[in-house]
Amino acid sequence: MTKIEAIIQTSKLDAVKDALHEIGVEGMTVLEVRGHGRQKGHTEFYRGREYTVELIPKLKLEIVVPDGIVEKAVQAIVASARTGQIGDGKIFLTKMADAIRIRNDERGEGAL
Amino acid sequence: MTTASLSGELRDLYTEESARIQQQFAATGNGRSAVQQRTRLIETIALRLWQEAISPDPAGPVGFALVALGGFGRGWLFPHSDVDILFLHAGNDGDAAYRDAVRGFSQNLWDLHLKVSPATRTLAECDHFDAANVEFTISLLDCRYLAGDRPLFDRLHDKVILKLVMREAQSLSQSLADLARARHAKYGNTVFHLEPNVKDGPGGLRDYNVACWLSLISAIDNLRDWPDEKALLPVSTRKQFDSALDFLMSVRCFLHLRQGRDDNLLLWESQDEAAARKIGAQDLDVGDAAGWMRLYFGQARSVHRVCAQLLEEIPAAWSSLYRQFQNWRSRVSNSDFSVVDGLIFLQQPHALHDPEMLLRLFHFMAAHGLRLSTTTEYRIEQVLPSLAATPPRGAELWLYLGEILAQPHAADALRSMHALKLLTLLLPELKAIDALVVRDFYHRFTVDEHSFVAIESLHRLQQSQSEWDRRYAELLSELERPELLYLSLLLHDVGKGTPNVNHVDASLEIAQRCMNRLDLEPSERETVLFLIASHLDISFTLRRDIFDPETIRVFAEKVETSEHLKMLTLLTYADIKAVNPDALTPWKAENVFQLYIATFNYLNHSVDERLRADAEDTHLAHIRTLVPTAGRRLKTFLEGLPKRYLTTYSATDVLAHMEMAGRLGGDPIQLLLERGRHWFELTLVTNDRPALFAAVTGVLAAWGMNIVKANAFSNQAGTVVDAFYFTDRFRTLELNLQEWERFKRSIIGVLMGEIDLNRMLQDRLRAEKPGSAKIKVDTKIEFDDSCSARSTLAQVIAQDRPGLLHRIGSCLSEEKCNIEIALIDTEGQVAIDVFYLTSNGEKLRPEHQKRVENALLESLQSD
Repeated sequence: MTKIEAIIQTSKLDAVKDALHEIGVEGMTVLEVRGHGRQKGHTEFYRGREYTVELIPKLKLEIVVPDGIVEKAVQAIVASARTGQIGDGKIFLTKMADAIRIRNDERGEGAL
Repeated sequence: MTTASLSGELRDLYTEESARIQQQFAATGNGRSAVQQRTRLIETIALRLWQEAISPDPAGPVGFALVALGGFGRGWLFPHSDVDILFLHAGNDGDAAYRDAVRGFSQNLWDLHLKVSPATRTLAECDHFDAANVEFTISLLDCRYLAGDRPLFDRLHDKVILKLVMREAQSLSQSLADLARARHAKYGNTVFHLEPNVKDGPGGLRDYNVACWLSLISAIDNLRDWPDEKALLPVSTRKQFDSALDFLMSVRCFLHLRQGRDDNLLLWESQDEAAARKIGAQDLDVGDAAGWMRLYFGQARSVHRVCAQLLEEIPAAWSSLYRQFQNWRSRVSNSDFSVVDGLIFLQQPHALHDPEMLLRLFHFMAAHGLRLSTTTEYRIEQVLPSLAATPPRGAELWLYLGEILAQPHAADALRSMHALKLLTLLLPELKAIDALVVRDFYHRFTVDEHSFVAIESLHRLQQSQSEWDRRYAELLSELERPELLYLSLLLHDVGKGTPNVNHVDASLEIAQRCMNRLDLEPSERETVLFLIASHLDISFTLRRDIFDPETIRVFAEKVETSEHLKMLTLLTYADIKAVNPDALTPWKAENVFQLYIATFNYLNHSVDERLRADAEDTHLAHIRTLVPTAGRRLKTFLEGLPKRYLTTYSATDVLAHMEMAGRLGGDPIQLLLERGRHWFELTLVTNDRPALFAAVTGVLAAWGMNIVKANAFSNQAGTVVDAFYFTDRFRTLELNLQEWERFKRSIIGVLMGEIDLNRMLQDRLRAEKPGSAKIKVDTKIEFDDSCSARSTLAQVIAQDRPGLLHRIGSCLSEEKCNIEIALIDTEGQVAIDVFYLTSNGEKLRPEHQKRVENALLESLQSD
């Protein structure tokens, strides 16, 4: 099992969700996050004052998938979240030791 | 009997009797009977154990007694309630002598899977008030003799508890009130949760107990004795209370039996089943789950109302600080209403038959944050039937309603009107969302309460210390017609009461009907309908890339004006905040505000794009339909005006300006002076001429007027439409109607060259005392050539002061700048003035910009 953490643009959530559903990934956790990579902040002047957004709002998706579909899931996210511009986001993969379904103690991939 | 056989006997008894009680409840739905029977069952078991473990004689031994506390004492044992018992001993080693027996007694009850909370205390220990364990002292108020030394119990009941309550009445009431308020705060201070807690939530069984305990403590303090329980509350309240108690008991019994544990949350699945089984409403036609929940909310509301009133009244009698605060509040009393302990009483109860007085009462409540006294509520209930025959409507009702909505405690006034059924009498449109549960995973409150919470969160902005809230508070303070925003919030979700249709469409239709009855002006209706129609648009746009200029352009074109943008931003803030306390994350608050700033800048920096009067545009089409015969005149008037002109003014305003422009042939200066909610508004339509802006702002300064906003536009034919919004610092116009004409004549005189403006200004300056600025604002002048194809934008930020605009206008005129558009605004003591300038029909060259900057700095920094 692998945990996929994907930082994506807020506007891409619906497209990424649809793409993951299409390959059979139903469950996911979505977090509201802020940050920046190479894309730095954004400055706006409002009534003579400067408003700088140093950390851009993004969404972070967390999903854990069986190893067999990791690449498919990654490709689904990449294809649906890519605009080609700086700020499209990043994907991180981590190996998971186990998964437990709280309701019935089911373990391993069956709990996903 | 052996311990094992006793345990077996008691287990059988408990199992059989519990099953019988459950069956009986399933058949009758009578919760009160079920809890009484369960109480008797546990008593029987306790007595049997007492005789086996402590004393064969149920009235023995001397110096030791078994006492039921809390819910057990009250006779309220729900199927999975805790069983609170007290082993009371007189002292003298009683505790040690019976320690093993008490352990065995409790063990037997635990073996039955009862949640027993035993306590062992001496009389002296019961007499001790521990502020950290108020719950124990409160549980003593419901104590009941079960077994053992009766005289010992009587000493506890008749002496120790009485003396304790008399001695600690103030601390006890205060602690009880604090606990209740903290509990209410945890549940958002409202009864109207989609999935309420029937025990601890506001209006739940705990509120019933709190009301009884507060009344009991107060009565003991007054009578110096235990009072007659039936006399604790007024007859009318008790009747209502008893009916609510029957209902809530049935619901809690149902939940315990359904869940198999002490679970008091009325979740959606439970609501469906409760409605199907008509829990607590055997003789009523409750309909579906939503109908049954309305019944629940009705009962819970009456319990919460009494509890909240007692919380307000009782601790006030003791707390000196609270008393001082209430005395201070009582100073707002007037000839119609008196205020005692934060409660409103009527000076002349019969006057309530006048609907205006009724509306004034709620305005008073909304303005001062007070509650209605029980007698005032009773009076209102009495006059409602006659009011229902001819309810107030039309502009007069809107006048009062708008005023109520704009007051700082509007939400509480609305809740009170709603609880008394006055709100739905005045606005029958709200009936469909009265206590309406619409199930989704995000909302916490019923639809009506959601709207009240939304209104409340805007009013609370002013007190908030949060950085984000302060930014939104600033926007709120800038609104010209906040009451329209509040009305939109009140009506934005009314469509949720119409099944099977898009709720926004349904809300629009209902709001339209409502505004017809309230007789709102067409421009007011347009604003409210715009806000309701767009109330999900910001949330939708946040799912796009808000740093993409195209997203901003599309959104800005939908919003059209800065005023709309501000209102929609605030409406979205309030709407999200009222979903549940955590819904507006800092992440969302920041994104909403970022979208606001970007759109605001778009609207203000792309303003001089010119109109083509024959262009396809929904706004233009709307204006054309209003005056189909004005074709050519309208085209001539609109041609070449900036697009922003159309987004600044309503269709009605545009037509009025066109009419004024049409009269210029006979009278070359057309003026319209009106008084608005916050300021006076002067509209000037004339042909363009040099230094026009400077001249008008000069006259206003000479009259002592403070210009807070202004805009100036001109069309291709050189017709100018300028509007100045100003406050009347010396109340000259406000107090002297005849001065209106003289004021207008002086503007005409200056523009016609018949009056010397400089002399007028000198007279004013002589009369003015130099004021001291609270904050120091540095003058900043910025030019921007990129945001307009035709003009140079000049932004002047300076300390606001009398005559500032006249100085700027004169300076620009002297530097040969033509003002294409002026957008004038004031934020506290900061003037933020934006001018779109041309010189000989072109942008200002860099060296010209430098000259203008130097001239402006010299002029503005000269004092």
